[in-house]
Amino acid sequence: MGGSTFCASKVSRDLTKKATMPAVKGDNMRGLLVFISDIRNCKSKEAEIKRINKELANIRSKFKGDKTLDGYHKKKYVCKLLFIFLLGHDIDFGYMEAVNLLSSNRYTEKQIGYLFISVMISANNDLIKLVIKSIKNDLASPNPVHVNLALQCTANIGSKEMAEGLGNEIPKLLVTGMEKSLRETIDSVKQSAALTLLRLLRTSPEYIQIGEWSSRVIHLLNDQHLGVVTSAASLIEALVKKNPEEYKGCVSLAVSRLSRANLQDYTYYFVPAPWLSVKLLRLLQNYPPPEDPAVRTRLTECLETILNKAQEPPKSKKIQHGNAKNAVLNEAINLIIHMDSDPNLLVRACNQLGQFLQHRETNLRYLALESMCLLATSEFSHEAVKKHQETVVNSLKTERDVSVRQRAVDLLYAMCDKTNAEEIVGEMLEYLETADYSIREEMVLKVAILAEKYAVDYTWYVDVILNLIRISGDYVSEEVWYRVIQIVINRDDVQGYAAKTVFEALQAPACHENMVKVGGYILGEFGNLIAGDPRSSPLVQFQLLHSKYHLCGPATRGLILSTYIKFVNLFPEIKSTIQDVLKSDNNLRNSDVELQQRSVEYLQLSTVASTDVLATVLEEMPPFPERESSILAKLKKKKPTVTEQAENKEPKQPMPQAQMSNNVNTHNTPPPLSVPAASNPPSAAASDDLLGLNSPGPSQAAPSAGSFLLDVFDTVGSSPPTNGVDSNGLTPGAEESFKKFICKNNGVLFENDLLQIGVKSEYRQNLGRLGIFYGNKTSFQFSGFSIDTHCSQITCTPKPVGTTIESGAQVQQVINIECITEFSDAPLLIISFMCNGNSHRLNLKLPVMFSKFSEPAEMDSATFFARWKGLSQPNQECQKVFKAKFPIDTEQNKTKMLGFGISILEGIDPNPDNYVSAGVIHIKGSQVGCLVRLEPNKNAQMYRLTIRASKPPVPNILADLLEHQF
Amino acid sequence: MIKAILVFNNHGKPRLSKFYQYFPEDLQQQIIRETFHLVSKRDDNVCNFLEGGTLIGGSDYKIIYRHYATLFFVFCVDSSESELGILDLIQVFVETLDKCFENVCELDLIFHVDKVHNILSELVMGGMVLETNMSEILTRIEEQSKLEKSEAGIIAAPARAVSAVKDMNLPQKIKDMKLPDLPNILKS
Repeated sequence: MGGSTFCASKVSRDLTKKATMPAVKGDNMRGLLVFISDIRNCKSKEAEIKRINKELANIRSKFKGDKTLDGYHKKKYVCKLLFIFLLGHDIDFGYMEAVNLLSSNRYTEKQIGYLFISVMISANNDLIKLVIKSIKNDLASPNPVHVNLALQCTANIGSKEMAEGLGNEIPKLLVTGMEKSLRETIDSVKQSAALTLLRLLRTSPEYIQIGEWSSRVIHLLNDQHLGVVTSAASLIEALVKKNPEEYKGCVSLAVSRLSRANLQDYTYYFVPAPWLSVKLLRLLQNYPPPEDPAVRTRLTECLETILNKAQEPPKSKKIQHGNAKNAVLNEAINLIIHMDSDPNLLVRACNQLGQFLQHRETNLRYLALESMCLLATSEFSHEAVKKHQETVVNSLKTERDVSVRQRAVDLLYAMCDKTNAEEIVGEMLEYLETADYSIREEMVLKVAILAEKYAVDYTWYVDVILNLIRISGDYVSEEVWYRVIQIVINRDDVQGYAAKTVFEALQAPACHENMVKVGGYILGEFGNLIAGDPRSSPLVQFQLLHSKYHLCGPATRGLILSTYIKFVNLFPEIKSTIQDVLKSDNNLRNSDVELQQRSVEYLQLSTVASTDVLATVLEEMPPFPERESSILAKLKKKKPTVTEQAENKEPKQPMPQAQMSNNVNTHNTPPPLSVPAASNPPSAAASDDLLGLNSPGPSQAAPSAGSFLLDVFDTVGSSPPTNGVDSNGLTPGAEESFKKFICKNNGVLFENDLLQIGVKSEYRQNLGRLGIFYGNKTSFQFSGFSIDTHCSQITCTPKPVGTTIESGAQVQQVINIECITEFSDAPLLIISFMCNGNSHRLNLKLPVMFSKFSEPAEMDSATFFARWKGLSQPNQECQKVFKAKFPIDTEQNKTKMLGFGISILEGIDPNPDNYVSAGVIHIKGSQVGCLVRLEPNKNAQMYRLTIRASKPPVPNILADLLEHQF
Repeated sequence: MIKAILVFNNHGKPRLSKFYQYFPEDLQQQIIRETFHLVSKRDDNVCNFLEGGTLIGGSDYKIIYRHYATLFFVFCVDSSESELGILDLIQVFVETLDKCFENVCELDLIFHVDKVHNILSELVMGGMVLETNMSEILTRIEEQSKLEKSEAGIIAAPARAVSAVKDMNLPQKIKDMKLPDLPNILKS
């Protein structure tokens, strides 16, 4: 803090004046004043640090000195340390002195000790045990002032240790009063105790037991003292969130307290008890509308009164009056929206918000836009909200404040539906040209989503996205342009139009690199559709694209090179022109290895390969499987809680998904673009993957070529580890742990730093029962915990579990399973939850496989061979030869086969080393018999596995499961 | 809940910082700087709410602030708090400071860190709103200063004399925080 910064300020004159006469306000802390003035007069940062170090040395020597300091001096030094800390310097001593102050009997000393501890100490400091001990003493003190100091410190630090050490003490303070003579002070203790309890409840709920006191806690809402009721309302809201049933009684009490909130209460700028009203209205938002008609009528009356008051002329011109009144009104509207039951109130609320939209107070406009977002998701009021579209568009254009404009964007997004999509998207696009940089990326995503969700005519969609790229190409993330390509490829009615449009867009003298990428890709795939027009003949297309080539980065150039080789296939007439380009030193000897390699290989491909090979290698991309828009995933990632909330409240409007199904071809196209790329640097940009470069080479062209894009999308961005998924959309490790369950029924299915999932299961015939145990390993509560299962060939009935898991707690879920028919894909178990503000999602495989429904069957040698021979059709047998993964051990192998659900039949196979087994698999209404033969070859460390079964795909399913087990 | 309460001046110098969730010291300073950058470039009559900076938790948190003369009072809260309610709480805080310091100014916050913290702890406890009734708060502060004085005993006498002299000097005082009639508030 140089002196110069101060001089610039208006206060500086004042400061100087005051500083020259420190006695004016200095009371008895002259030393502190001198120190602060010294710091102010420092001309440079260095001087300041020097002065501070001098002071720290001084204080340290004072603390260490043998002369005991009196309370005044201790207080002075502690104040100095606080000031130094505020300036951003580390304080590494004085803690012990502060802790000692806690045990002083003098209020001033105790107070400064607590202050120092609350500001400086971190939860894991070594001294925390001593602090807790002092707090315990003070909590038991007959002096309410001391009790309050202790409570404040507990609440301010609120660590786990505190909850552990004090969790039992505080509820007592809350419900039992002290002696009658201290009636006045009891209130303040109760008030603080309620909040302290709330704080500890948030950090470590496992140490807080309120059970027996719950009804007395609820009745704090009837307390005479307004402050107690306000604190209690906060506490009860937290308790309600955990256990709504137990605290249900608070609804009627809250409603009656709310209706009594009139002038007999403390008024703040003529508004009676605004904070209490707000708290109570918030509390009520945790419950559905009251069932008791009397309570319900009373609540409706309260809400109507609040709405009526909004129409009355203000009782004061002071801004605080309006502010407080609107705080209550706004919360009342939120409650009305939450109850979502009384159309009359909803419409009134909507009208009120409509008035706020045009209010001169910016804060109110902001809140109105925010609340309207919620209203837009209610079916009663969605239409009413749409009436304000013009006003909202107007505020998007005219608001001076970016945070208000951001809300307007959110609301437009929420109110958009089929009827107004074109208009809203148009407005948003128009606004985007001048939008603030801070909200552009999010807007781009939103526009892209709306365009996709409500596109009736896909040419419109293509136009919108290309406009997006034109207007703010820098903010168009890869997801957006990948998505447009996915959609164009999947919808053949729009391909010609897309080709024409990108061709036109590329003609702009300056176009964004993202536009070049989209253009390059689409022309490479569908350039032939417009080649008939002489204005966009093959050569023109090529020259246009090539004119951009040198302006682009390496990733885009790589993409364009791929387009060129596709052109060679599409337009043989310009092959030589393209070969010339590939041959140029600029490409063939490019310093970028990737580009050089592509040029060499493409050149070679174009020279060596016959037309047929070329046509196969460079065939049109197959359609992408239908999947959730990756853009949406990105938006969710940006705003985890916000969108999830919106989604929960919006079951009728599923989030957009490309309507691809109508055009998905069913035939399996061979790998589309297996470009010969021998080596691929691991750092290859995502766009390279788009070209299929991750495939190892033409000979092993991956059968999953169509999923290249999916892989790219799933790993794009820096998703947190637990949210990352592998190429099958599973959380890493899910596949391996699934395999562990093939031959056993119990074990740990998944474990990471946050969560442990254990599984116990039992099966009888075609029924099964799974117990799944979710253990929270963190010190935070999991909230919004939800589980979803996906399965097709079996019925999967999970019993519901609660939405929260406390820290350290374990929750059990039972899932009942019925096998309907044979299946090879295990059901998915999708778990999502919030922990410490982060949302997590796990995609696991439920360890249920077809073999689980198998029971061992016993039979003699003759029966076995008779049946074996009876199953001689080719599709009734599956044979696999594989390398042993474990040492070949007879006993272990037998255990595994029994675990798999098949018998061990002795004395059937002439070779005693071989295993022969039989089993009966139960599916609904029928049974499938299966016979298994496993032949180990110890010398070669190989196995041969043969499975025969009466029903065709069963041998293959079983063999796939079993082959990884030995 | 309230995650942090920050007071800094127009130049970003911190005058009060109170975090109700643990952050390491250097991160605390970074948060103060980031918050200052977020609010300082905003006009006076724009809205008082904005999304939190990335350090403090991003868009799940709201910054609710008021700008009085040379000082910004900033509360960083989560979605469980009413925006207007917190805005009023800031006003109560400042009005209480004003009553306790008799025309509060930036200097009072500098020289009386302890007292400011004590006043704040009567309003907000562990990140939760404790008391909003100003007369109630003032009574409690009054009680505490009585206690302090009784303990300080004779030492306090000169200080009382000094403050008597100070009050005679009224016209000389330059008040940069006139409350409750704040210029920026009257405007709107």
